[in-house]
Amino acid sequence: MARLPFPEPGRPELASTGRYLLWIARRQWGTLGLGFLWATIWMVAQGLVPAALGFAIGAAAAADYAGTLRAVGAVLLLGAVQTGAGVLRHRMAVTNWISAASRTQQLVVRHAADLGADLNRHVATGEVVTVTSSDVEQIGSAFDVAARFVGSVVAFLGVAVLLLTSSPMLGGLVLVGVPLLGLSIGPLLGPLQRREARRREQVGRASALAADTVAGLRVLRGIGGEAMFVDRFVQQSQRVRGAAVQVAQVRSILDSLQVALPGALLVAITWLGAREVVAGTLSVGELVAFYGYAAFLVIPLRTFTEAARRWTSAYVAARRIVTLLRITPTAPPATDATAPDFATSVVRDPSGLQLHPGRLVGVVCTDPAVAHRLLDHLQGGAGDGAAATVADLALPELDKQALRSAILVQDKDPALLSGTLRELFDVPRSGRVSIAQAIAASSAQDVLDAVVDTDPLTSDAMSARITERGRSLSGGQRQRLALARSLLVDPPVLVLDEPTNAVDAHTEARIADAVAQLRHGRTTVVLTSSPLLLDRCEEVVLLGPSGLLAAGRHRELLVTSDAYRAAVVREEVSAL
Amino acid sequence: MRPPEDAVTASTESGTALPVAAQPTVRSYALELLHRHRRAFLTIIVLNAIAAGAGLVGPWVLGDLVNGLTAGTAAQIIDRSALIFLAALVVQTLFTRMTLLRSGVLGEEVLADLREDFLSRAVDLPPGVVERAGTGDLVSRTTTDVDRLTEAVRGAVPELTLALVTGVLVLGALVVTSPELALAWLLAVPPMLISSRWYFRRAPQSYRAESATYAAVSASVSETVDAGATIDAYRLGPQRIALTDRRIKRWVSWERYTLWLRSWWFPAIEVGYVLPLVGMLALGTLLLSRDVISVGQLTAGVMYSQLLVEPLDTVLMWYDELQVGQASFARLVGVREVPPRTADDEPEPASGELVVDDVRFGYHKARDVLHGIDLQIAPGERLALVGPSGAGKSTLGRLLAGIYAPRTGRLAIGGAVLSRMAPERVRTHVALVNQEHHVFVGTLRENLSLARPGASDDELRAALVEVDAADWVAALPDGLDTLVGSGGLALAPGQAQQVALARLTLADPQALVLDEATSMLDPRAARHLEQSLSAVLAGRTVIAIAHRLHTAHDADRIAVVEDGRISELGTHAELVDAGGPYAALWASWQS
Repeated sequence: MARLPFPEPGRPELASTGRYLLWIARRQWGTLGLGFLWATIWMVAQGLVPAALGFAIGAAAAADYAGTLRAVGAVLLLGAVQTGAGVLRHRMAVTNWISAASRTQQLVVRHAADLGADLNRHVATGEVVTVTSSDVEQIGSAFDVAARFVGSVVAFLGVAVLLLTSSPMLGGLVLVGVPLLGLSIGPLLGPLQRREARRREQVGRASALAADTVAGLRVLRGIGGEAMFVDRFVQQSQRVRGAAVQVAQVRSILDSLQVALPGALLVAITWLGAREVVAGTLSVGELVAFYGYAAFLVIPLRTFTEAARRWTSAYVAARRIVTLLRITPTAPPATDATAPDFATSVVRDPSGLQLHPGRLVGVVCTDPAVAHRLLDHLQGGAGDGAAATVADLALPELDKQALRSAILVQDKDPALLSGTLRELFDVPRSGRVSIAQAIAASSAQDVLDAVVDTDPLTSDAMSARITERGRSLSGGQRQRLALARSLLVDPPVLVLDEPTNAVDAHTEARIADAVAQLRHGRTTVVLTSSPLLLDRCEEVVLLGPSGLLAAGRHRELLVTSDAYRAAVVREEVSAL
Repeated sequence: MRPPEDAVTASTESGTALPVAAQPTVRSYALELLHRHRRAFLTIIVLNAIAAGAGLVGPWVLGDLVNGLTAGTAAQIIDRSALIFLAALVVQTLFTRMTLLRSGVLGEEVLADLREDFLSRAVDLPPGVVERAGTGDLVSRTTTDVDRLTEAVRGAVPELTLALVTGVLVLGALVVTSPELALAWLLAVPPMLISSRWYFRRAPQSYRAESATYAAVSASVSETVDAGATIDAYRLGPQRIALTDRRIKRWVSWERYTLWLRSWWFPAIEVGYVLPLVGMLALGTLLLSRDVISVGQLTAGVMYSQLLVEPLDTVLMWYDELQVGQASFARLVGVREVPPRTADDEPEPASGELVVDDVRFGYHKARDVLHGIDLQIAPGERLALVGPSGAGKSTLGRLLAGIYAPRTGRLAIGGAVLSRMAPERVRTHVALVNQEHHVFVGTLRENLSLARPGASDDELRAALVEVDAADWVAALPDGLDTLVGSGGLALAPGQAQQVALARLTLADPQALVLDEATSMLDPRAARHLEQSLSAVLAGRTVIAIAHRLHTAHDADRIAVVEDGRISELGTHAELVDAGGPYAALWASWQS
């Protein structure tokens, strides 16, 4: 375990779900094998305890006290073996669990990092959450139970042989009876699972309803309707209770059968065994041992059902993981064209927009679809059949990594990954811009203060944590942090889509000046309709569905282009 | 082996502003629950005792038989013994079923009480607490903590009661069978007691750290998928892989530590089971040779000892689980510790005039955000608050909406002090409109009528007409009965905003505080909404926290907020003429 995480998780076999599970098993065959060994010793030692107890009592009954003491020694020895092997078995089981789970997590994260945005097009995040939490655990637990299963099989067969040699009749009864008991519970499992599924569904609804109510609590406390929503939840909560009671009805029968069925076997063995003792074919000690065996066999029996249950869920879980790992990127493979130097080449969009090296360009789009197409092209897409070019090379032909390091597109709602601010700013960067400069240029110092204020664990800004997706921050605060991160990367071409629309005018004006200064000499494209930003651009372009409509400085275009004025200055202005 | 790091640090991913209940509150609430259901609980104990008592018959019958068989007098009693055994089994089965069913039903009742209590407390939290704590922590309490507690109550409680009652009865049976033999169990006490004390002093916090560090692994993987586009754009793939590997390492180090704890504790417990058995056999042989006990007594004693292992194991294993449940329980009960707002003894406001008189306020004791604000807002006036981020505009807005109480100074509407009115009354006068436009899971009708419970369909439709949303609502397949929100029909952001505005029309407060109300909208699609908004604003007092200067331009008056003070106040024309900071900003915006 000390070796975890694996330096490289390896290349999994994905031909089928079974192949994947076997592949994982092969990768940890050493610890699996040791697990089998210890589990077998452990179970067999446990299974032999009744025999030793039988000897002890049999000898005691015959007043052979030396024999009793020898048997007591055997119990002690078996106890010691069972204890030692038990710990070693447990250690191997946990190791197998963790190795399988880690390897799967590592595979999934590497695959996700490779696919990037492509993965989002194939699977919903909710599904991935299932994969990375419960599915991985289920795979782990399949490897955990494996060794105990093997040990149980060996112990069961061993006990059966012991039984048959001392009484064929009772031995046969146990050999046939135990599996029959296991199977006889089967018919109840169906109804139990169906009711349990109904309960889970109701629980899911209640939990979603409660989470939704609480998530909208600001609205409820600000506008009203609390009583109505509590009533609604109480109704659902009572539905959960109803469904759970239905489960309890079946489950209580099932659990009491777990008492009744092995009990019946025990009664039968005691009764028949006692008769055999009277008939002289069985000793008192053997009777006691038989009683002990029947009680012991409950353990392997339970392990069999447990293994069946866990393997079924592990198989389902592994199928989901294999499906995820099989997804391949949709983009065509990049040719090995060497990437041109973006710092000196002009980027041309099919719309007619030209990005000259080192310039700060404002882009105003007449409708969202136009902006969407432009952003797609600049990310190397060709969603509408046309592609942007640089030095006569189409962007989709370029190596994806080279393109990403040349052009950074910050979309409208960039994700802030949870973690410390230090982690947030841990991005591949040119090194020309310092963190302090990036924060200052995006006027984000007060955001840092706010993050520290809400984190009780630290007073150091860089160690303070932001929560998932930056939900604890306001829209404007998130935007400024995201902008700081993009400025820090300092790519040859930086494309910003509405970077400050949630930021107030004072701050926006400051940001506009600082960004223009910081990006001086680097190509920067800002898609916006804010006059404050457009005023700082060296060139402003108006794009419509048919292409480029106007180009020039912001102040010129306000005068010369009606379409531009309509897009930037709002005639009906505000609601006030 | 030492823990890999401080367990508390490892298990706290981020802080919370909501309290976690202290031991006394938890205990008194648990007792209250127990008291509420005491009859059901007593019944369960009695049923349980009968079931466990019947379970003791087996070893006794075996002992009796062994005695008889050894003495050669068993032939007559075999059938009778088997019948007694069988009868006891039937009783045991029936009563076990009753116990399990009743404890299942009781557990579900307690859980329903708990989650319903929790939610009604949560929706009663003072708005200021909700605003500061955010809803994330509350959501995780309603989902994760309720789930964990459910698991604990459904699993641990029935098994633990069964194990405790059985354990006590088996021990009693052992003493009755032979007090001398029962003494052998004293051998179990030192290894079990010492190792368990050692173990439980370290285990709970280590398991919490282990599960928190594991959750961090899953979170980093699922976030990698969720933020695929961003990771792609910023070339964060290698970082994400490294981060996940680092988190796996951290999690595994906790797994190794807890495994190490168990590697000592399990064998010690195991020794605690073996020693009494060996001791009993040795002691039994001695007593047998001196005719103090019979073979049957020894047999029964040994079998009872075997029966004792399972309940003991259950108690020890679930103890851990219960501690996890208890932590969740404390978080759920924690919302009870938020002090409610003071009693509402303010008179009805005489007018809609808002008066702010030397108001100071800060989130932390030591640091004020607002330093002496004075402001009068006439009914029906439009006031714009402008100024740099962090200057205190939003805070002032929240004070005007009655969400926070000023530290010193006075803030009143029509002579009535806002902070002394119940939130339910404050909101009939002032409402805060922010960028949060939560669409609740439910019908569109439910989403609207929360603002005016019992409103007729005509009233709802009138509100929709006012915000210009009547057309698309009429076009929905089920009209007002259409299911919306997560899992239902997804409303476009603009539609969600119109729903929020329609709620405001229905709630009909005199004054509105607008904070970033339209800022997160795509500006390329915002115009339509501004018309809806202006319909809602008509005839009301409006305080707008302005991010766009055209909003300020149209206001009756503008207040420039800088460093927690109002630095400029006047009409647009006055401020532009004054040539201060507002004028400079306007110039660059307008140019």
